[in-house]
Formats: sequence, C-alpha cells, structure tokens
Amino acid sequence: MTYLWLALAFVVASAVAGVAFARGAGRRHWQATGIAFAALAVLTAVFDSVMIGMELFHYDSQHLLGASIGLAPVEDFAYPLAGVLALPGLWAWMTRRRRTLDGGHPTTPHADAKAGSTDGLTGLLPQAFVASRPISWINTAYPFAAAMLLTTREVDWVLIVGTFYFLVPYNLAMYGINDVFDYASDLKNPRKGGIEGALLAPRLHRPMLWLAAVTNVPFLVVLAAAGGPASWLPLLVSAFAVVAYSAAGLRFKERPVLDSITSSTHFVSPAVVGLAIAGATVTPGLVILLAAFFMWGMAAHAFGAVQDIEPDRQADIASIATVFGARRTVRTAVVLWLLAGLAMLATPWSGPLAALIAIPYIVNCARWWNVTDTTAARTNVAWRRFIWLNYGSGFLVTLILILQWSLTS
Amino acid sequence: MGVIYLASLLAGIVCMLLLDHRFRLFFWHDAKAATVVTAVGLAFFLAWDIAGIGLGIFLRGESAIATGILFAPELPLEEPVFLLFLILCTMVLFTGAREVLARAADRKGTGGASAAARSSHGKPARERENA
Repeated sequence: MTYLWLALAFVVASAVAGVAFARGAGRRHWQATGIAFAALAVLTAVFDSVMIGMELFHYDSQHLLGASIGLAPVEDFAYPLAGVLALPGLWAWMTRRRRTLDGGHPTTPHADAKAGSTDGLTGLLPQAFVASRPISWINTAYPFAAAMLLTTREVDWVLIVGTFYFLVPYNLAMYGINDVFDYASDLKNPRKGGIEGALLAPRLHRPMLWLAAVTNVPFLVVLAAAGGPASWLPLLVSAFAVVAYSAAGLRFKERPVLDSITSSTHFVSPAVVGLAIAGATVTPGLVILLAAFFMWGMAAHAFGAVQDIEPDRQADIASIATVFGARRTVRTAVVLWLLAGLAMLATPWSGPLAALIAIPYIVNCARWWNVTDTTAARTNVAWRRFIWLNYGSGFLVTLILILQWSLTS
Repeated sequence: MGVIYLASLLAGIVCMLLLDHRFRLFFWHDAKAATVVTAVGLAFFLAWDIAGIGLGIFLRGESAIATGILFAPELPLEEPVFLLFLILCTMVLFTGAREVLARAADRKGTGGASAAARSSHGKPARERENA
C-alpha cells in the first residue's frame, strides 16, 4: 500500500500545481492533456512491462496494491499521470506570459524570441538567489544537519536531502515570501537591495511565490515520508512559521513578540525536524538546549528589528521594536542572550561550554543599552557585526559538537 | 556491464528531439520555457524516486543490460536519463496533441474568435512550413 500513498502525494501535488498554472489556458489545454495521457498510458503498459521483464528494476511487493497491467504495477501509472498534469501547465504558464506581452496577437518566431528578453520572468532566478540571502543559508541547514548527524551518527540520503532543503529552498520560501509582502516598507528602507535582502520588482511577486511553492512542497513531502508520523508536526510547524511570518492575513512579523517567536522558530524548527526524523530520545538536556537556542533566536530577531524602527513606522508596520521602543527591545535582547547562556550551563557536559558563545552577543548588543528611537538606525553597525559573529559561533559550536561526539562514541 | 538500456534511452531521447525539431514543439518552440519545464520535471521525479527508494519500495534490478553504475543506493545512472526521456515524451505528446487540435479547429472553420484567442501555439510551425 505504501507505494499508493507515495504516488497519491505526488499526483495530488502535481495536479494542484498543474491546475493553478494552467488557469485560463482553455479547454484545448485539457483535451491535449487527455490525449497525451492516453498515449503515455499505453506506452507505460508496454515499456514498463518490458523494463520489469528485463529486470531493470523491481519492487518490494509488500508495498504494492497487487494489481498490475502487464507486468507494470498500477501505481506506476502515477508517474506519467503526475507528469502530464503538472508539466504542460507549467509550460502553458511560461509561454502564455510572453504572448500576453505581445498583446495576445499570434506572434512570429522572431517576435517570440525578442519578447523572451523582456518577458515577465526575466531576472526571476537571479532575484530569487539574492532574495534567499545566501549569506544566511547555513543558519537553517546547520541546525538540521547537526541535530540529525549527532543522533544517527551517519550520513544517509535523508540527511543530504534535508540539508539541501534547509540550505536553499527553505530560505527561498522564507525570504522570498517576506520580500513579496514587505515590498511597501522595503521601498522606504535604503538598507534593502544588498546582502540583507532584495527589493523585489512587483512583476516578480507572483512568480516568486510560485517558485517558493514548487521548490518546497516536494522536499516537504519527501521528508515527511522519510521521517514518518513523528516528523509531521515539526515539519508542519516549520513550514507554517515560514509562511505565517510575512504572508498577508497572518503577518506574524507585525504582531509584537509573536514576530520574535516566529522568527526564532525559523532557526530552531530545522533542528527539531532533524531530531524527529532521526528519532532522537527526548531528554531534559535536549529540551534545555532547544530552549536556549530558541531564546538566542528571539534575541537575534528583536535586536535586528531595532534598526528598522523608522522605516517600519513610516510604512505602518508593527514589530517588537516599534512597539517596545528601541531601548526596551535592546535590553530584552541582552536579557534573552543572557538567559540562553545561563540555560546552557544547566545542560550535560559539554553543553555548558556553549554558554561562552552568548558573551560576544551580549557585548555586541549591550553597547546599545541606552539607545533611543532616533539613534536606532545606527545599530545597523552592530547588526552587520552580528552576521559575522554567527560564523564565529558556528565554528565554536562545531568544536563543541565534535567534542560531544568523541565523548559519547 | 551492459550499455543496451542506456543506449536505448539515449536513442529515445534523440527521437523525441527530432520530433521536437521537425514540428517546433518544445525546445524549438521556446527553449527557455522548455529548459525550465525539463529541469522542474527532473527534480520532481527524482525527489519521488528518492522517496520511494528511502521507503524501500523501489529496488534496482541486476539486469545484464544496465551499466550497474549507481548515483546512490538503488539509484542507477540510467534512472535520471529515463526520467528525462519521460519528460520529453510527455511534452512532445502534449504540445503535439495541442497542435493537432488547433489545426483540426482551423480546418472546421470554428476559428474566428477562438483562433485569435488561441495565440501562438502551433502558429510558428505552420508559418515555417508554408514559407
């Protein structure tokens, strides 16, 4: 039965994507889809049987329904079905975009080629790359990889796939969605357009959201399948936090305190997902460690929001910093980092070593203990230092994890 | 180690590309869009394969006609090539079917508004043949 569920997950995902992409493509699109599937089904019945007969691959029979056409198990027909549902839709969407640019008139191949350079998707991939904040990729992939590796003690395919997911697609979704829905405030913020985020052209907003969806959903399905039911809640929370942070309607980033909590979830949830997939045992030490990490993340978010107080207020965007004010926010961040460090002292050896890592953050931030709302923008200096501080901390955390590894193996 | 399977797949891919070229269906219709569709399709199907392998459903065969070269456990070299063929086959069938449907509609004279709205699908190929 397992193959059926796996196939259903992928077919449903591709059907949803296909229908969304093909919206407005007309009746003929679906007629052609039907013809293509009929032909593919015949080809599948013939060639799948030949390939299975030639022993190119086989199946674990306990995962199959048992019904087959020729030698091909019925579940195999899900492959051409998913392909024919999703791919023509994506094709119709991409080619339609360029046609509407020519006013809907049938185009000559020459005009078609010329439209290609100015069509609606030009620059999407470079923008997506910048939007995903490559400098911060490691911040989400590392917690996942470290948590999983330390639990399973081996590099398997789930570790590789999951690390890649939290390295790129996850960040593309998180920051891409953010840049789409923050366009208004980013316009007023001179800081945007570099390593701290792209200023995303409105014509790329919808494509960016689609790109985030199609690059994330397959990975989430695969990780959920690999991790089993224990991983579903952490994956759900993780994906929800990514969307809820900035998407219209939810906008957790505009709900003071909830904004810091959600932001921290972005960094802690990959670790929880890693632990869940690896089947880690929940110990008090592990819970304290995750709590300390969570406080560290909340402090990082709160402190980062201080520099944006002015542009955020101008754009009527609330954050923990616009509501608390610069001074109280900075002090809250210092206290949270302090608590995170103290919490690490309560973890089993070699965890207490990590308490030292809190110190540079506290020093970097405490300088702004008496900051005012008018001088808040200057904390950008400390924020830039913070980005590099994270690399240093990552190095120290790695050393501690190696020590931990050698102590426990 | 056998190369028959791999060679057959590559031959199939070449055939699909020849059809594509002849009727300007996919890569020869819009190379950029075709590249994106192919890349997305390949990533999608590979994720599916890997999930199936991870769940212990898909197992590689020990066929004499396969190279036996593996990318990962149970994931032979031939698999992504097969997936590429499947994608090309799907898209050539779809774009071809659309083309045929469009021509049939033209011939029946049901053109009019629908022909204008139909846009460029199928147009370039016909124009080229008439030229």
